[in-house]
Amino acid sequence: MLQDILVTGLVNGGVYALLAIGFSLIFGVARIVNIAHTAFYMLAAYSFYTLLVKFGLGFLVSGVIAVVGVTLLSVLCYRLVIEPVREHEAAVLIATIALGLIFQELMLISFGGNYLGIPSTLEGSVRVAGVGIPYQRLLILIVAAAMLLFVWFLLYRTRLGLAIRATANDLEVANLMGMNVRRVAMATVAISVALAAVAGVVVAPVFVVDPFMWLAPLVTMLAIVVLGGLGSLKGSLIGALIIGYVEAITVFALPGGAYLKGAVALLIMVVVLLARPEGLFGVVFEEER
Amino acid sequence: MYWLRKVWAELTNEVLVLPSRTLVLVWVIGLAALPFAYGDAYVLRILTMTCLFAIFAASWDLLAGYTGQVNFGHALFFGAGAYTSGILSHKLGVSPWLTIWAGAAVATLIGFLVGYLCLRLRGSYLSLATLAFPLIALGLLFAFPGFSGGELGISGLRRLAVTPMSNYYIAFVAMIVIVFGLWLIADSKFGIVLHAIRDDEVAARASGINTLRYKMSVFAISAAAAGFAGALFAHYLRVAGPSTLEVALSFQVVIWGIFGGAATIYGPVAAVFLLYPLTEWLSSLEVVVGAKKFAFGEFRLLIFAVIVLLVLLFMPRGLAPWVRDKIETLCPRCKQRNGGWRSVCRLCGVNLKAHGSQSKVAGAKGLVGHQ
Amino acid sequence: MLRSIAILALALFSGAALAQGTIKIAVLGPMAFVQGEHHWNGAEMARDEINKAGGINVGGKRMQIELIRGDTNEIQSVPDATNTIERVITRDKADFLVGGFRSEAVLAMQEVAMDYKKIFLGVGAAHSKLGLNVEQNYERYKYWFRASPTKDVDLARTLFAVLGTIGQQIRTDLKTETPKVAILAEKAVWTEGLVAAAQKTLPALKMEVVGLWQPSAIATDVTAELSAIERTGAQIVFTMLSGPVGIVVGRQMGERSMKAVAWGINVEGQKEEFWQASAGKAQFVSTLDTYAEVEMTPKTIPFVKAYQARFKKFPTYTAATYDAIHLLKTVIEQTGTTDADKLVPAIEKIEHVGTGSTASWDKRHDLNWAVGKTAGIAVQWQDGKKVPFWPPQVKGMQPFKMPK
Repeated sequence: MLQDILVTGLVNGGVYALLAIGFSLIFGVARIVNIAHTAFYMLAAYSFYTLLVKFGLGFLVSGVIAVVGVTLLSVLCYRLVIEPVREHEAAVLIATIALGLIFQELMLISFGGNYLGIPSTLEGSVRVAGVGIPYQRLLILIVAAAMLLFVWFLLYRTRLGLAIRATANDLEVANLMGMNVRRVAMATVAISVALAAVAGVVVAPVFVVDPFMWLAPLVTMLAIVVLGGLGSLKGSLIGALIIGYVEAITVFALPGGAYLKGAVALLIMVVVLLARPEGLFGVVFEEER
Repeated sequence: MYWLRKVWAELTNEVLVLPSRTLVLVWVIGLAALPFAYGDAYVLRILTMTCLFAIFAASWDLLAGYTGQVNFGHALFFGAGAYTSGILSHKLGVSPWLTIWAGAAVATLIGFLVGYLCLRLRGSYLSLATLAFPLIALGLLFAFPGFSGGELGISGLRRLAVTPMSNYYIAFVAMIVIVFGLWLIADSKFGIVLHAIRDDEVAARASGINTLRYKMSVFAISAAAAGFAGALFAHYLRVAGPSTLEVALSFQVVIWGIFGGAATIYGPVAAVFLLYPLTEWLSSLEVVVGAKKFAFGEFRLLIFAVIVLLVLLFMPRGLAPWVRDKIETLCPRCKQRNGGWRSVCRLCGVNLKAHGSQSKVAGAKGLVGHQ
Repeated sequence: MLRSIAILALALFSGAALAQGTIKIAVLGPMAFVQGEHHWNGAEMARDEINKAGGINVGGKRMQIELIRGDTNEIQSVPDATNTIERVITRDKADFLVGGFRSEAVLAMQEVAMDYKKIFLGVGAAHSKLGLNVEQNYERYKYWFRASPTKDVDLARTLFAVLGTIGQQIRTDLKTETPKVAILAEKAVWTEGLVAAAQKTLPALKMEVVGLWQPSAIATDVTAELSAIERTGAQIVFTMLSGPVGIVVGRQMGERSMKAVAWGINVEGQKEEFWQASAGKAQFVSTLDTYAEVEMTPKTIPFVKAYQARFKKFPTYTAATYDAIHLLKTVIEQTGTTDADKLVPAIEKIEHVGTGSTASWDKRHDLNWAVGKTAGIAVQWQDGKKVPFWPPQVKGMQPFKMPK
């Protein structure tokens, strides 16, 4: 049973990590709580499905088109919808909720409420310590690790990363230092949504694609980033693993209460917040008091 | 006779001088008279629902708009009221006229609790943590189906009144009383303190205000109103089910609140009265073009979201403050509102036209509606 | 005020067309979803057939059927559902109501329909509370009938009958005396009775219950549950799933190439789209179902064929609106009136041969359960096709297969 928990928790944690890093990034830098983040994930899943199943374009081509397309769309949405109301924190919040709803309804109208299945990129499964793991899950783990490395490299080893971190620390000073804060925010939005889109392409094959698929991961993802500390990449990763393990432990320890795994994960989040209001690795921003 | 004259004086001096207050008066009279002019059961049902959601939206605004504690899980209080009243009246056979108060009371307690837990949280952390509470409550409800009815909820509840018209008036009166009460609270000294807490909590505390007590009590007041609305809702629909706790409802109230204009009380109410009948109307709308029939029902949420987005782009502070700025000006000296047509302040006689543009700029800079 | 005027104007506008000589039947369902789509399709088929044949004979007067499309949006919102039913009754002047799907919403809609004393033929919601209302307060709730499916408790009887057959096959194939059964039931009120019954009945059927797992109906991942089940060495996964979790279970069982076979209720597994939704991984998943190309009644095969020809889809169980409307026609012609109070006793007495069942009603206005009449059929997914395998006495059944 222990090996079951260890493996399952890790595998589920990988899925969550992939979703959470992007969200955490955009909050950390642009201070945008992007509720539509998982809606972009859904859009990527739908585009991937259409290209792969309807047009038969193959995994790689479909995946690349889906990620690029959704990223471009996000930049467009940012320019048209988010940027004009950036000043008003509350307006940004419901603008992103509205965006999420619009995407949901557009998918509902064009694909119906049917559940769709995306074929696995990799077929078959492997047994690790007596626990069956489908290859697709391993792929997700690898992609999640690669994405984390990529984001880390981008943030700490490139000029753009320096600009992003500077903006995250102090937007006004960064602006005064001659940085194009607008462009930096846009780049962050693009990177963050690209991560969501990658998740859509890689993760959606293990789940079911439907117009409401963005709501459940949204809640889990919010729990993870809040738990780990908003804006902290390390926090998101560890938060994802914690939630993954909490869920696995709930199911194994309490099989009749498997439906509670979501509630237990949220409870853990609340408990952590009560002890550490800024999350595990969050930074307290004094100027935001 | 004296009273009559006094009422008349109040009316002409306090209400009719301001177009916004006149609008509110017309709206109240219109709603009160509507069933006599047009007693269609379907219209009354929609308006009853609208009134209940208006209470819910206004209660959110007191909490989120005034203290800046943007609650993403406001459905928790709505659901608490619905379930408490439902369970008490159904299992113990108590009259719903009593249990709706119990529903509001339990919601108040939960509001205190949530407020206490959230005291140390700020901004987005608070929003996202509150989102979790109704979902945890849902988990609990599913864990004890014998008590809560699981996914079906508690059905076959007794209702408060039988005819559509009496149900409508119950909701209408409840709305007027509660919304007006919330507005009074928000407009009192208490409300000013809440503004101060939102704008700078540390400064408020430094001025000797016990901000923790204020934050908790506003959570409780807001929860009480939401719980009352939830209880009425449960007895009207005759079902208290898990849909009263869903994320969708919590999101809905955030949309209403910000769309209408946060920190105004009347803004969210106006938003509900515009958006709820609108979506309902869209759902039954059919347009015939040539031989083809287009039903709008399936597009209602899409149209709703697009409208919300468009309105936000043009009025980022929300609908009500925008309209109010168009029809009224703020006196730069005594900070009283004046009808947009006046050139001198009705109270202190200062010239408004010369300063008019200035006050508008000051208004547009603020993050929320009420300055 | 403007608003109210707008509503008023609209009301006058749409209320004006009050056609004479038609019977108005409102079809209630979530129209953006598969369930609602089949509700509507089944009703349209019945309407066209009846109208083409001259309509319904009401005491010598020929009346045509007019359908009202009531999009309840009930999967997303319960208030929307009650608003819709109020609208079709008071605004569109519907005479009869058919449809409904999500039990929480149907319970709320039932109240509105009973307020107006309209006959409401439920097609889709299985919860026994709906029928219990009729028994407890007959005068108020007598206008409710469940046209399909049988109530949840009766579903259990069918499930155990089939489970017995499958168990027998496992005993001979795998040479074990007591097959191991893992119960995988979504956490919901409707599964509660079934789970309790299973835990009591299975030992009597000489089967061992190795555990009970209860994911949420909308869970998107059951990895942990399935690895735990695999660990127990279960040969049968006894499923009770109505939500999208059914697809996830089917797919993830296939992905892990589990040795166990899934039998039970899997509402998603009844849909034609299931194979695609599970990305072709749900091999050997089996479920209780309503329609297949077998001779349940003489009407089944012609109906299924006509339905497929018209809608290019295989009917799912909510298409039984077709039966509901035909039932209405039969009793209206029998009594010669559309008066609800006279129709209720007629429906109580009738035995109606439909397309998916031969139906008669008990004192709760629920279907009387009988194998080969209302108990439904069992189907298994084999290479992308739904293959019926039970009850054996019905013509057209094929063998049940086990994963290798």
